[in-house]
Amino acid sequence: MGIEFRNVNKTYGDNCVVDDLSLTIDDGEFIVLLGPSGCGKTTTLRMLAGLESVTSGDISIDGERVNDVPTQHRDLAMVFQSYALYPHMTIAENIGYPLRVRKLDKPERAARVQRVAAMLEIETLLDRKPRQLSGGERQRVALARAIVREPRAYLMDEPLSNLDARLRVQMRGELKRLQHQLRTTTIYVTHDQAEAMTLASRVAVMKKGRLQQFDAPMNIYNHPVNRFVAEFVGSPSMNFIEGSQLTIGIRPEHIQVLSQPQDGAIPATVYVTEQMGNETFVFLTVGTNRLIARAPADFRAADESRVWITISKDKTHFFDPVSGEKRATDNTDWIRILSVSSAA
Amino acid sequence: MRTRTREKYQSANKLAHSKATALLRYVALVAALLFSLAPVYWMLTISLKTEVEQFASPPPWFVFTPTLEHYYDAFVARGFGDYLLTSAIVAVASTACALIIGTLAAYALARFELPWRLNRRLSLWILSTRMFPAIVTAVPLFLMMRDLRLLNTRASLIIVYTGFNLPFVVWMMRGFFADLPRDLEEAALVDGDSRLGALVRVVLPLVTPGLAATAVFCLIVSWNEFLFALVLTQTDAAMTLPVGIAGRVTQYEIKWGVMSAAASVAIIPILVFALSVQKYLVRGLSMGAVKG
Repeated sequence: MGIEFRNVNKTYGDNCVVDDLSLTIDDGEFIVLLGPSGCGKTTTLRMLAGLESVTSGDISIDGERVNDVPTQHRDLAMVFQSYALYPHMTIAENIGYPLRVRKLDKPERAARVQRVAAMLEIETLLDRKPRQLSGGERQRVALARAIVREPRAYLMDEPLSNLDARLRVQMRGELKRLQHQLRTTTIYVTHDQAEAMTLASRVAVMKKGRLQQFDAPMNIYNHPVNRFVAEFVGSPSMNFIEGSQLTIGIRPEHIQVLSQPQDGAIPATVYVTEQMGNETFVFLTVGTNRLIARAPADFRAADESRVWITISKDKTHFFDPVSGEKRATDNTDWIRILSVSSAA
Repeated sequence: MRTRTREKYQSANKLAHSKATALLRYVALVAALLFSLAPVYWMLTISLKTEVEQFASPPPWFVFTPTLEHYYDAFVARGFGDYLLTSAIVAVASTACALIIGTLAAYALARFELPWRLNRRLSLWILSTRMFPAIVTAVPLFLMMRDLRLLNTRASLIIVYTGFNLPFVVWMMRGFFADLPRDLEEAALVDGDSRLGALVRVVLPLVTPGLAATAVFCLIVSWNEFLFALVLTQTDAAMTLPVGIAGRVTQYEIKWGVMSAAASVAIIPILVFALSVQKYLVRGLSMGAVKG
């Protein structure tokens, strides 16, 4: 059961937006489609909703092929980036709209609207119009309209992107909690890797219409299949050291910065340091390479001062310099590359 | 000190300047009002004057003995009441038909991607029906209505006026629909509503100002139309007010009083409707200009 994309393509003229996408989503999962803008993630979501046609391939929900099922009969709920609240209706009417078109009688409708409003703490707003609400309140109303009935899945298109940073983190937590309570399959589109990491049971990373990797967040983070995924997930981004035969990837937290030389440590120069409060980002120059390292909050070093770094060898990643695909490599090899580039 | 005096002088100058522009503005307004309302005033006074005063020279502009004899003549003695009713039925029915058909067509053109670039081609084709003078279609329409046995019926006028107003409705409404974010309809569809349901429950309430503005224009066109009404109706059974009024210009006399009385009454319905939808009208005409 669940949702399945089988060899799905979407083209506009000669422009291929989604390229041979195959994805199987189990019941009750929280899936995040992650990628930069223009990677086809929103188009994928809209095809599932029936708002875009499928050029070729099949989409099925609970085993039923839905390619030709019109949107209103797919029994999904969607939260739009713009929230898409009906401006001429009150909040109560907005939330009750999906029930109204399903011809539920009025008392039942009112009761269910009241229940979700209480759940999302917006009971006091029910008589207002959307334009009288703040961004965060509108977001809750959009969410309430989605959960007022029990659809087969929730689709969310960057629902938090119009909120300020503090509210976004708060709503992120509430979304996760809500999904744990409701246990309804959720497909969530975002370009924010932090949202993907925190919310998803599995993340589908996309680039230029192609699925790159589909796995649990920690697997994506620890075992990226290619350079794109490695670079896109994690903040600050993974460091890359370019060799002619090999590209080495090291996450900032796997570089240890020392103020004294140590056996096997590589000399480096501090470019600049950024104090984040709970940690310090150290920008380093090693030969011709620029690296970022995560250091403890109390780490201090002047610009241009000499430091030494050690690298957790079992945590490094290797990629093909041409294709960017992950490669398995003997450990001795890359140390040579790094020392060569640092000597230069 | 010197700069302060200069500032004072400048601000005084500015004040005088703004007073002068304000005065000019009022002069222009009064001139425009006189230009457009003087004929109406002339018509109203003629309708209230006796025939002797109508032709007095110099004309009594403001002081005369008012009489309602022409109104009695028009609406009680003659059939102008029937003409008024016909005009009302034809105008309302043709406006309603044009709005319903035109709105649906405009929505389709604004939202559905038709093959062979039909969106653009159909829109232009619809507009092209308004590009030739009305008289061109008068004879063909007369022959068609004759063969359909619809001459001298209100139905013929309703059909013709609907066709006449359709291009206007389609183009006006297409613009209003295009300005509306798609998200709202898509949300309605995902919420389980049909296309038509989304149109009726979500889209149309949001373009009410546009609908009102379009309706006013259609009503005015249908209400004032003369040519087709003259060609397609010859008997009292389906004569509209404009034709009825013009019919008082006869071989032997021109019934100025009756004509003015009927014309004065003819102004009222459109005036009342336009005033009642005024709040929508202004928004409708400026809709799309500013994203709100």
